[in-house]
Amino acid sequence: MPAGRRGPAAQSARRPPPLLPLLLLCVLGAPRAGSGAHTAVISPQDPTLLIGSSLQATCSVHGDPPGATAEGLYWTLNGRRLPPELSRVLNTSTLALALANLNGSRQQSGDNLVCHARDGSILAGSCLYVGRVTNHAGISQHGAETVLSALLPLQVPPEKPFNISCWSKNMKDLTCRWTPGAHGETFLHTNYSLKYKLRWYGQDNTCEEYHTVGPHSCHIPKDLALFTPYEIWVEATNRLGSARSDVLTLDILDVVTTDPPPDVHVSRVGGLEDQLSVRWVSPPALKDFLFQAKYQIRYRVEDSVDWKVVDDVSNQTSCRLAGLKPGTVYFVQVRCNPFGIYGSKKAGIWSEWSHPTAASTPRSAPCSVCLSLRLILPVLASLLPSPHSTRTWLRPQESGSWRRCGGGAPSFPRPPHLPRGAAGPGAQLGCCSGPQGGPGP
Amino acid sequence: MSRREGSLEAPQADSSVSLLPHLEAKIRQTHSLAHLLTKYAEQLLQEYVQLQGDPFGLPGFSPPRLPVAGLSAPAPSHAGLPVHERLRLDAAALAALPPLLDAVRRRQAELNPRAPRLLRRLEDAARQARALGAAVEALLAALGAANRGPRAEPPAAAAAATSASAASGVFPAKVLGLRVCGLYREWLSRTEGDLGQLLPGGPA
Repeated sequence: MPAGRRGPAAQSARRPPPLLPLLLLCVLGAPRAGSGAHTAVISPQDPTLLIGSSLQATCSVHGDPPGATAEGLYWTLNGRRLPPELSRVLNTSTLALALANLNGSRQQSGDNLVCHARDGSILAGSCLYVGRVTNHAGISQHGAETVLSALLPLQVPPEKPFNISCWSKNMKDLTCRWTPGAHGETFLHTNYSLKYKLRWYGQDNTCEEYHTVGPHSCHIPKDLALFTPYEIWVEATNRLGSARSDVLTLDILDVVTTDPPPDVHVSRVGGLEDQLSVRWVSPPALKDFLFQAKYQIRYRVEDSVDWKVVDDVSNQTSCRLAGLKPGTVYFVQVRCNPFGIYGSKKAGIWSEWSHPTAASTPRSAPCSVCLSLRLILPVLASLLPSPHSTRTWLRPQESGSWRRCGGGAPSFPRPPHLPRGAAGPGAQLGCCSGPQGGPGP
Repeated sequence: MSRREGSLEAPQADSSVSLLPHLEAKIRQTHSLAHLLTKYAEQLLQEYVQLQGDPFGLPGFSPPRLPVAGLSAPAPSHAGLPVHERLRLDAAALAALPPLLDAVRRRQAELNPRAPRLLRRLEDAARQARALGAAVEALLAALGAANRGPRAEPPAAAAAATSASAASGVFPAKVLGLRVCGLYREWLSRTEGDLGQLLPGGPA
């Protein structure tokens, strides 16, 4: 009896008919007492099968009054009535079905196998998933492979996830991401679960915060141990099966990253047209642990997309860029690698780049001497022997002679027009080179 | 104030005249919204049956129209109720629909993961039902006919729908989804009709 069938007086209440139990599913799978109607149960429910295989199914009728009969019941598959010769009455309340040489399923949500009463009403339903075994290339084959795949269209159990990578921000947490296996992810809803445990002891734990840095990622916010390895893996599950990735073993200290250096300042170096000074602060979160930080600087001309990278800026918080174009705006960024934190033998993971900071090199009046120097100095530099042939930028010293970064002879007379201490008062001169391959842009 | 016949009604008439155009505009707007959403509900239903496979899309397909937790179809006697009462029932049904539509969407995400349009339509339908229900309630409040009694309990309906949907077999889940989409269309159509009766020129 449909709900809500009441007289106008009862329906004058200011709400719809009261909540009813969720009877829909019960009716399709169990009897309703006192109703005089029948329902049924199909077995198996929602099976997964190979193309070409057979299916034995039953429809068992329940009802009130008891003793509901299987006589008159019939089957349809995707709306088509199945021939009676495929069915047989097992007992008074059960009709059996035998299907052979199954074709692949017609739709992704499964073929609809339905048990009907004599009058055509639906008593029960079950959805069949019929596909074929494939190898990774998608080529059909029959054999003893244990992985059942319903290729229908292209539904398969998940392939194992791979390429797990993890990092810890300031040793406080752990974020991991992975690449899903090809087939199962694409064509069936697949659940992923990141698991982790201490290698030598401890129970399996499951990550709970998913999709933090993309669809296949998870974040473990706390309760992580240092100085002891973790084992980490990903389990993928869909309705056709599951797969487990290879286990990644790591120590949190080996995968530490940090925040970008704050307070990056870029300023002119007095009147020097081809140089800029970059200064920054060590990331505060690791300031008590960062004994051997490495930094990288990159810079580009304002209207260019090509970054020049200055590598191996070790354990210092200032640097001078040289070989720049006069009268040009440059954008500069810095990032940090917490190398060797707490004695780790591995390089850490580079932080994000700091926000771009801009500054412009000065442009002075044309100077024939300057022009000459610009032509001569690179030539002189290229003639000097150096273990790192690209690192030949010079800096002035108080003695008035030019020396190569990092010390060593020979020296050259300081060009007369350049004042002593040309770096400017109070500046910390970091030894910093132009990019590999020669002068900057 | 002069004591002419009917003069005591003059102040109220003045204020109601000033309110009527605004209220009428709101009724028209809500009626238009209901009309639009009814069209969307038709499209949702068509897409849903297509993706479940036959017999869901076949003309003769007639699964049992059985109760869904927390919501029933409009009763045959609905049309005989006063319009304010009908609109209250409409608003209550529209409030009960979103968690049911959400439950259907979650299940369809497993059954038809490669059907983003269906999933989007189901998600939109939940939002649209909520919006139209709120608009109808606002109208009722403006008409002085807002519901002051206890309401139906959408959270309980949602919990029942969610747990049952997750536990059921695939075929019953398909049928349940069809039922919910059908109820959605029915209640939208009913709401459109009931709002139409509030429009000028319609029967009181």
